[in-house]
Amino acid sequence: MEWLIFGFLSLWLLVSVFGTLFLKNPVHVILAFLSVILAIAGIFLHLGAELLAGLQLIVYAVAIIVFYVLVITTIPWEKVKKFEGIYKREALLAVPFLLISFLPIAYMVLEGKFAVSQKVITEGNIQSVGKTLFTNYLFPFEVASVILLTAMIGAILLGRKEE
Amino acid sequence: MKIEVAYILISIFLFLSGLFGVIIRKNLITLLVSTELMLNGVNLGLVSMDKMVGGVEGQVFALFVITVAAAEVAIGLGLVVAIFRLRGYEGSSEIIQLRD
Repeated sequence: MEWLIFGFLSLWLLVSVFGTLFLKNPVHVILAFLSVILAIAGIFLHLGAELLAGLQLIVYAVAIIVFYVLVITTIPWEKVKKFEGIYKREALLAVPFLLISFLPIAYMVLEGKFAVSQKVITEGNIQSVGKTLFTNYLFPFEVASVILLTAMIGAILLGRKEE
Repeated sequence: MKIEVAYILISIFLFLSGLFGVIIRKNLITLLVSTELMLNGVNLGLVSMDKMVGGVEGQVFALFVITVAAAEVAIGLGLVVAIFRLRGYEGSSEIIQLRD
């Protein structure tokens, strides 16, 4: 049963990834990317990370996708249509390099041994993630808020009209 | 083979296909979508490693990665709109203002 769920989710993910890479129209690419997001949220649920599945749906599937669609609507359509598709020669050149870099990593993952701790988590997922986030990782959490504020100011400055 | 190892293989494939998309795409917006694929691959690897090792630190890191992805999208799309307003071009091979 577990492998059945794995097969369904990973097949869905692979089909949407190929759609994201090779579709021509940018709106279709964003729809395929939304499908990738939903598949990854399902995989997070399967792996027992409920908090991240919810955050994936809220942050990616709502905020980021809507942002992409808004930017596409502000750009005139005929200018977008002039640069669609892929570079064919670069694609042919990139495939062997990526295959060569995939094979050793996959070999190391398959043959290596992982350290498995015997620590059993008794409380729920969201509880344990929240406790770790607000005790050990409190300072990175505050730094993340500063990063978001800086990105907001930078986006306002970049999107402003020049006088 | 355990199921987490299979998910780690899927995450490596997702990261490398995002890199492939960054190399081959012509449109700037789809190029940004490919970088999002790379970030999602890293997230998937962190969470499946977390399930295998039995901790929660990987999920905390994945949360930070989602934060950085949101900031990156805001800045990247702001840059796309600024470049479009500057030259009217939108292809990834047409941005050569720094070279000239």
